[in-house]
Amino acid sequence: MGILSIFLGTPVIGILLLAFTSRQDSNRIRFLANLFAGLTFLLSCWLVVIYDQQDSAIQLSEQFTLNPKLGSAFALGVDGLSIPMLVLAALLTSVAMLASFTISHGVKSFHICILLLEFGMLGVFLAQDWAMFYIFWELTLIPLFFLIDRWGGKRRHTASLNFVLYTMGGSIFMLISLLAIGHYMPEHGGSLMSSMTEAARSMPRDEQVWVLLGFLLGFGVKMPIFPLHGWLPLAHVEAPSPVSILLSGVLLKMGAYGLIRVVVMLPEAAQVLQPYLVFLALFGMIYGGLLAWRQSDLKAMVAYSSVSHMGIVLLGIAALNETGITGAVLQMSAHGLIAGAMFLLVGLLYERTHTRNIQDYSSLVQVMPRFALFMTLTLLAAMGLPGSVGFIAELHAVIGGYQQWGGLMVFFSLSILIGSAYAIRTIGLLFTGPVKPRMKEIEDLTPPELLAAGVLVTGIIFFGLLPTPLIDLSSATLSHMSGLISQRIQ
Amino acid sequence: MDALAVLIPLLPLMAAAIIGIGHLFGQIMGERGERTTSTIATWAITISCFLALALLGSGLLGKNTGVFSAGEWLHSGTLGIQVNFITTGFSTILAALFSILLVIVTRFSINYMHREPGFHRFFFILCLFSSAMLVLVLSGNAIGTFIGWEIAGLCSYLLISYAYDRPVATLNATRVFVTNRIGDAGFILGVGVTYLYTHTVDWGSLNSVAERVTTPTATVIALCFAVAAFAKSVQLPFTPWLGRAMEGPTPSSAVFYGAVMVHAGVYLVILLEPIFERAPAVMILMAIVGLITAIYSFVVGLTQTDVKSSLCFATSGQLGLMFLECGLGLWQLASWHLCAHAIVRGYQVLTAPSLMHNVLGNLIKPVSRDIAGIRWLYIASIQRFWLDPIADRTLVRPVHGLGRDLGYFDDHIVDRVMGTPARTSLSISSLVQLEKKILGTQSEYDPKEFSRGHGLAGKLFQWTADLFNWFEDRLVLRGIGIDAINMGRDLGYAAIKFEKLILKPRYLVVFVAVVLLLASAI
Repeated sequence: MGILSIFLGTPVIGILLLAFTSRQDSNRIRFLANLFAGLTFLLSCWLVVIYDQQDSAIQLSEQFTLNPKLGSAFALGVDGLSIPMLVLAALLTSVAMLASFTISHGVKSFHICILLLEFGMLGVFLAQDWAMFYIFWELTLIPLFFLIDRWGGKRRHTASLNFVLYTMGGSIFMLISLLAIGHYMPEHGGSLMSSMTEAARSMPRDEQVWVLLGFLLGFGVKMPIFPLHGWLPLAHVEAPSPVSILLSGVLLKMGAYGLIRVVVMLPEAAQVLQPYLVFLALFGMIYGGLLAWRQSDLKAMVAYSSVSHMGIVLLGIAALNETGITGAVLQMSAHGLIAGAMFLLVGLLYERTHTRNIQDYSSLVQVMPRFALFMTLTLLAAMGLPGSVGFIAELHAVIGGYQQWGGLMVFFSLSILIGSAYAIRTIGLLFTGPVKPRMKEIEDLTPPELLAAGVLVTGIIFFGLLPTPLIDLSSATLSHMSGLISQRIQ
Repeated sequence: MDALAVLIPLLPLMAAAIIGIGHLFGQIMGERGERTTSTIATWAITISCFLALALLGSGLLGKNTGVFSAGEWLHSGTLGIQVNFITTGFSTILAALFSILLVIVTRFSINYMHREPGFHRFFFILCLFSSAMLVLVLSGNAIGTFIGWEIAGLCSYLLISYAYDRPVATLNATRVFVTNRIGDAGFILGVGVTYLYTHTVDWGSLNSVAERVTTPTATVIALCFAVAAFAKSVQLPFTPWLGRAMEGPTPSSAVFYGAVMVHAGVYLVILLEPIFERAPAVMILMAIVGLITAIYSFVVGLTQTDVKSSLCFATSGQLGLMFLECGLGLWQLASWHLCAHAIVRGYQVLTAPSLMHNVLGNLIKPVSRDIAGIRWLYIASIQRFWLDPIADRTLVRPVHGLGRDLGYFDDHIVDRVMGTPARTSLSISSLVQLEKKILGTQSEYDPKEFSRGHGLAGKLFQWTADLFNWFEDRLVLRGIGIDAINMGRDLGYAAIKFEKLILKPRYLVVFVAVVLLLASAI
């Protein structure tokens, strides 16, 4: 048992312990669940400590064959791409747990589902074998379906069904693409990521393009890429706020993570599709931004802003150069923190006022100053204000994009402008204005909520002012990857 | 001993920071906090005074190396800016002298400002100013001097508008600040030109390469710094600002416009002696300006009826003489003159309020008959040679007019095209708004305003958003999402219906027959 197996196993032990706890004893359940989420987070921090930043190869790898006939293996490993995502996933799960103290019915199953979801997410980021990746990818759907369907809002049934159908639909294409690459594998070659990458090189270019299109459909649904985002507004709005945090904070990153792995595998095809990708990225950014601007529902606004922000990730990936991919990875971390904080705060606000219409709010700064501070900082970070981690990521992405396309980046700026329009308007409507009688007696953040929001906002500001540790964490891997890409597309 | 130069400006800065933060967080407030504030300020400035004296002493004993560098502040291309300090010569003498004067003024202010509403603010600014002034005289490069120069100017602005509820005080403060900006522009231009021609911003290396600088280049550099010096040390045509600056509390007038800050210009000129020596035209200009200022101040000073105004014109007259001396090449005399004047004038301004008590009843010595007889000179003197109205006519009013026209352009053309931001809320932040609200002319936030754009750009924005929203709602959400689910359900129902039909006996028979037929056909 290596450290990665222990890390992956921690949520599972939590689930097992929870399974044998009485359903009435909700305090014990919450304690256990929080304990194991916290342990996982600590382990992820330990991973960062023992991870060697200079080494671009897969580290701490563990491997044993599961199915000798097919050659699929239980292979785990981390590199500079997955390690920020692992920390993010573990951190946001803890934060989501802290934000779920108001869940009153089905406490036990709720926490089991969250831990199962964490297990799935960690598995996706740890897997070094495509078969395993696919299994974990699908595994996340099961807890999410129940989480949205049982604890969601009014239209939760439609939302959960819609979400699962969309994602399953996408995964089928992903599976077909994987099988297509499998054809080029030697006999009993298995499905290890590294060997599949080798195999993909021998594919003819037109097949590569088709395969990449399949992956794009699969990962694009999750990410989401512009026309495939239909599930997102509904699911984000209807999901309970802890689930929204995980959904936007980590689940969307799974799509981007997979896409980066695939682009490294099929760079020539990515080069062929590059013009379409950049169009989708820029259009999606403006599209998401404009729709976010039009929403009067706070959660829908944040959901559409996610579409806009994930466009930056796609843009960075599509640039196919080192700065761009660095920007994409940074934006994944940044958006994880920012969207996580935003859904957390909006969810906490909703629990207190039971309205999500932004026009009902007014002058909240007088009753909840701590909330106002965190929300304002988060919104400013969402619009990419310098000093926040969002700015660092956007800057890298725009520089990478500029190297590739030059003046086209004016559309990028346009979407940033739209972003600041709705962020500033939200600050204005929430916190200023005349005092409304309905908004007079609202409780400010409680200590656990303060801790959850504080950790995220501190991360946003800290990495905004001192981005070097975050960049260094993945720079070796990313420069290796971009080396591979540029070597192939020359 | 060189390293002391860092601490000398640092201590008052720290004192300012402590007072400022303490006041901000409500720790140092009101009359109870006065003792804390005054103790902090006095100790910081006193210690830095002793340090300055120690630096001067070791400098005189020849134990200083001349320059102390505390590291690099900025490095970009060929431009490297050190954090360095001059630790010998005239700079240390001035640092010691100014810090002694600052200690005296600080001590004086404790009693003078007692129970004033802005006690803590005053000491905060005084500490900040001390720090700035000591940086100004000690810094070894143009950037450091400029930082001190600017902060001192800012402190002067803040103290002139000490009573910021009085419109006259704020108006005067603004006027003084803006006038000083002309000099600052000269300073920045000077630094830029210096870097362009000599590739250094270090005073030491600038003076050492002065030999090799050609006369035209030296003239340009010297002219820029001379303009800066004229503005700071109230030479014509900038002289009128000194009269307006007397608005602040007496200790601040003493320290800014009597003893310390007004001498910064002369100090700058003396510091750049090698460059000025290479630029004879600027030397002549300096002599002329100094002479005219001295005569002007003398004439205007004769008709002043209040003690502060008389002192201020006396100051500008003496400063004029210093520039005259510099212009004539009498650098040593000018520096002695500076030191002596700082002490005397500081004393005079500090005692100005009590002077009125002491000389009550004494007759003022009449002006000599020869001068008193010249009527036009009398009028000109009373009117201070109309310098202020002239500046108003030639500079202030045209700028006002231009601003008004641009404002019109902004309101009627730019705003129409680009749109103004929708008012998200109407919080009452001023009395005018409150009045409007009471009168009912200002409406509440209108929900219809939500996601509406104004102006051409705003409308375009809104229409695009509407179009996208329609697309999203119709196709993405309903089309793919809900319709797909409904279609799937309908298909399922149809399949169930088909299943039911096919299991009925009569259809089963038909089905079997069809299968058999097909089989036989194959």
